[in-house]
Amino acid sequence: MKSPAFSYYQAKDLADAINIKKSDDDSIILAGGQSLLPALNMRLSSPSVLIDIGSINELKKIKVEGSYLIMGAMCSHSQIMNNKEVNEKLPILNKLLAQVAHPAIRNKGTHGGSIAYGDPAAELPAFAVLVNAEIILSGPNGERTVSAKEFYKGLFETAINSDEILTSVKYPINQNGMKLFFDEVTRRHGDYAMAGLVGSIKQNNKINEEINLVFFGTGDRPNEAPKTCEYLLKNEYNYSDIKDILKNDIDFASDVSSSSDMKAHLSAILVGRMMKELN
Amino acid sequence: MDDLNQNPKLGSADRPNSYIGRSVPRERAKKLLEGKGKYVDDILLPRMVHLSYVRSPLAHAKIKSINTENAKNIPGVLDVFTIDDIEKVCSPWQGVLGHLGEMRSPTQYPLAKDVVRWQGEPVAVVVANKRAVAEDASELVEIDYEDLDAQLDMETAMDKSTKVIHDDLGNNLFWTRTVNQGDVSEAFKQSHIVEEVTLDFARHTGVTLETRAIVADWDSSEERMTVYHNGQAPHMMQSIIAKHLNITEGLVRIISCDVGGSFGIKVHVYPDEMVTVAVSKLLKRPVKFVADRLESYSTDIHSRCHKISGKIGVDDKGKILGFEIDDLSGIGPFSVYPRTSAIETNQVLNLSAASYVVPNYKAKGTVVFQNKTPMCQYRAVGHPIAVAITEALVDKAANALGMDRYKFRKINLIPDNSYPTKTPSGVPLEDLSHEACIEKLKKMMNISELEKYKKESLAKGKYKGFSIINMVEVTNPSPAFYGVGGAPISSQDGASIRLEGSGAVHISTSITEQGQGTEAVMQQIAADQLGVKIDTVRVTHGDTDATPYGGGTWASRGAGIGGEAVLKASRKLKENILNIASVIMQSEVNNLDVQNDQVIRKDGGEGISLKDLAQIVYYRGHELPPGTNAELIATASFSIEGIPFVFTNSAMGCLVDVDVDTGLTKIEKFWAVEDCGTQINPKLVEEQIRGGVVQGIGGALYEECIYDEMGNLTNGNMADYLVPMAYEMPDIIVDHVTTNSGRSILGAKGAGEAGTGGAPGAIMNAINDALIPLNTEVTSQPITPEKVLKALGKI
Repeated sequence: MKSPAFSYYQAKDLADAINIKKSDDDSIILAGGQSLLPALNMRLSSPSVLIDIGSINELKKIKVEGSYLIMGAMCSHSQIMNNKEVNEKLPILNKLLAQVAHPAIRNKGTHGGSIAYGDPAAELPAFAVLVNAEIILSGPNGERTVSAKEFYKGLFETAINSDEILTSVKYPINQNGMKLFFDEVTRRHGDYAMAGLVGSIKQNNKINEEINLVFFGTGDRPNEAPKTCEYLLKNEYNYSDIKDILKNDIDFASDVSSSSDMKAHLSAILVGRMMKELN
Repeated sequence: MDDLNQNPKLGSADRPNSYIGRSVPRERAKKLLEGKGKYVDDILLPRMVHLSYVRSPLAHAKIKSINTENAKNIPGVLDVFTIDDIEKVCSPWQGVLGHLGEMRSPTQYPLAKDVVRWQGEPVAVVVANKRAVAEDASELVEIDYEDLDAQLDMETAMDKSTKVIHDDLGNNLFWTRTVNQGDVSEAFKQSHIVEEVTLDFARHTGVTLETRAIVADWDSSEERMTVYHNGQAPHMMQSIIAKHLNITEGLVRIISCDVGGSFGIKVHVYPDEMVTVAVSKLLKRPVKFVADRLESYSTDIHSRCHKISGKIGVDDKGKILGFEIDDLSGIGPFSVYPRTSAIETNQVLNLSAASYVVPNYKAKGTVVFQNKTPMCQYRAVGHPIAVAITEALVDKAANALGMDRYKFRKINLIPDNSYPTKTPSGVPLEDLSHEACIEKLKKMMNISELEKYKKESLAKGKYKGFSIINMVEVTNPSPAFYGVGGAPISSQDGASIRLEGSGAVHISTSITEQGQGTEAVMQQIAADQLGVKIDTVRVTHGDTDATPYGGGTWASRGAGIGGEAVLKASRKLKENILNIASVIMQSEVNNLDVQNDQVIRKDGGEGISLKDLAQIVYYRGHELPPGTNAELIATASFSIEGIPFVFTNSAMGCLVDVDVDTGLTKIEKFWAVEDCGTQINPKLVEEQIRGGVVQGIGGALYEECIYDEMGNLTNGNMADYLVPMAYEMPDIIVDHVTTNSGRSILGAKGAGEAGTGGAPGAIMNAINDALIPLNTEVTSQPITPEKVLKALGKI
């Protein structure tokens, strides 16, 4: 478990990092290193250069701009959990991040790292898709924005080009009285979920007007479930119907933690919990 | 025994220096917490080189060719070896013993020869100036394999159509044993109720915090091999390395530094460790191998892997008439050297039903080969299986009779006043206290409150269950365990203790320390028995050049056997000190004692410090009358005689919540009452029990080595192999009953394995108690949420 040899480069600023990235297709961005370094040690990846963006201070800021909360890519999970504005404007993030691994990992692991890595079992990518966050990418030709719904392309596959760096994520601060839900089922605290759900409901006079569901730990990327949402707008929650419709929405993929049947079952249970909590 | 009238009574807390029975803080804990422990990987020697093993990616295959040329060309690589090189300096071995009937295990070579038989088996080894370079080069070793069918499932191992792993043996059977006491079929005929169950136990492993590690340093000038090794049995390794590397045994020195956990994982002979020693001999320089976490999962011994069926027959009053088990276990492709892979099954046969009076008992064990990682003894060898099958059947019988589970046990437990007696399988038992333990447990648990809580929860749709179980634990083994079968494993341990010129006391012991507090326990015994302050005592262990000969630390034997040797040596030294003091002080020996590092006169008057006494002896011996026996060093040994093991017993219980939506089990509380005889340090005893329970929880709920249909280990990493973690652990409440062992002055039995042995049965019974209203049960460990939901018919 020793990584293959690589070079290390500490980027002075964003332009510097982009320059290096552009000059070497085999280079890779080092953020918090909580997924990358184990992958290197297990020899699952052998990049030429690690471009450390840890000293670029502009990437470590949390800002409120109008109706958006903007997380710099290098904000650690702990930093976000301890940020007063985040806890006021988007309190669900605190609840969600508390389930991301353990304190030592949350101290090093970064927001941008988790979004960019795109682990299908991770909480943050699913949340970004739920609220359709805007993901800001910087490259040699400047900045572009990709909506989270367009960002995840497949298993660990995202819209980031090889010469781009994810610099920040823009979250709409809860608009129109949308209520948010987060829950997941793990065998041990901090593990990747066997199945997890982030969801939202918009109500008018206690009538559900809009329902959104995004599951994680269930497939090759954050999984939306449009047919299930549609059903829930018209019908009361019913476990077996929901489980059947979810199977139409999502190609549940078994992993070492649980079978696809188990994931479908737990997803249906989570929907039940959400409808109970938010209604 | 040598009971001088100066020897203080054990456990009299009102006298000075009465450390036995007190939770004295241990100094080593501070050292480890400050990160100042010294582990094998901290050893850096001049000219030291590093190894990386090329391991089989396949479960079963022929090796057609190995090409090491490209690997050898990497800068920094010294050489690449295969079995052709290694077998010139290291002979193969065979994991069989002579005392348990016929064992059939073939010769095992230190590197695979012609055939690979499990994924992870070492095939070649790269030697380089750095581990990373060795790993780079490992990727360039080209091995051409021809796939062979893999024999993975223990249940089909003996089928005619199944691939035989070792052609010479004709089939995949390693070992089998039957026990037959009384007439069990007649007993079942006479029974009012007969209950049956079949339980499965997955493979799991030990996951020590510090992985296996070894540094071998061959000095060709002296023909001397020095080995730094984080094992549990230095003298065993000394003997085995001497034998297989053809070195004079006295010239092999094993040094065990700090050891970061062992759990039985580090008491076996591993091919990669033997090869490390061989490479040092070939290259005449120090060689280091530290297993990384990935290779730990596929090469550290695995354990459990049992399918066991059981049957119990009881009369209409609830008296057990007969008990029968049939156990099948899969051990990988080789029986592990030198302890063999038969012992776990042997324990299952010996220990099932062992807490109860069972007039008719029959047991059968079958152990077969598989193309998976070798399996061998791990903490609480066989106990979890024996306890779980016994207690599952006991609960089933009680429930079928409509009898309270506690009452059923009271009727059938071996009474406290009936020792010495034997287990239903015929193994001698003495000094146990099942009745006292279960009484105390019942009070601690407050069973009537638990029944109420269960009922109220059920009304709210919550499924709670609780359990009570009884068990015995094998500790302090005699030569009957291994030595009698031909293994170079000492059942005796020794201690040497000396008073130094400074007044310091120094013990050296053959017992080793793996983090559990061996040093503290030995310090306490010596300080208590000598009458010195605990800070006065230093301990040396884990060095075959510097300690007495002995077995080491395994099978919960350190305190009971090694501690007794320290006690006896301390008493001898005290006798010498008092004899010398009586000359110096012109006083009768009977009027003298040692307290707080001083020889005192019992009738008052001036004493002498041990320091002054020692300095007279060492520096000014001429002041003593000629012929005075002025030895300030004493040595003693101890081993268990007359019985095979010193058994201990425990009663345990737990309360669980089963979430019938997710299948998750939460252990709300766990209780244990154990009887390990004299407790030298109650806090260390309790932490052994708690740590053991946690490891038992791991086996019951989380831990499993998962293989796919090709024999690939699919979860060999810390993310996917779930060890129990602090967040999920319940409060574990521990109490004690004390029945001293009559086999020693100290009276201490072992305490290291009861928790691991008892918790899996306690948890399974509690879950099944919770599931009674739903008319289903779980029978397979680990009890995953998925298995619970399957039992409920939800998936």
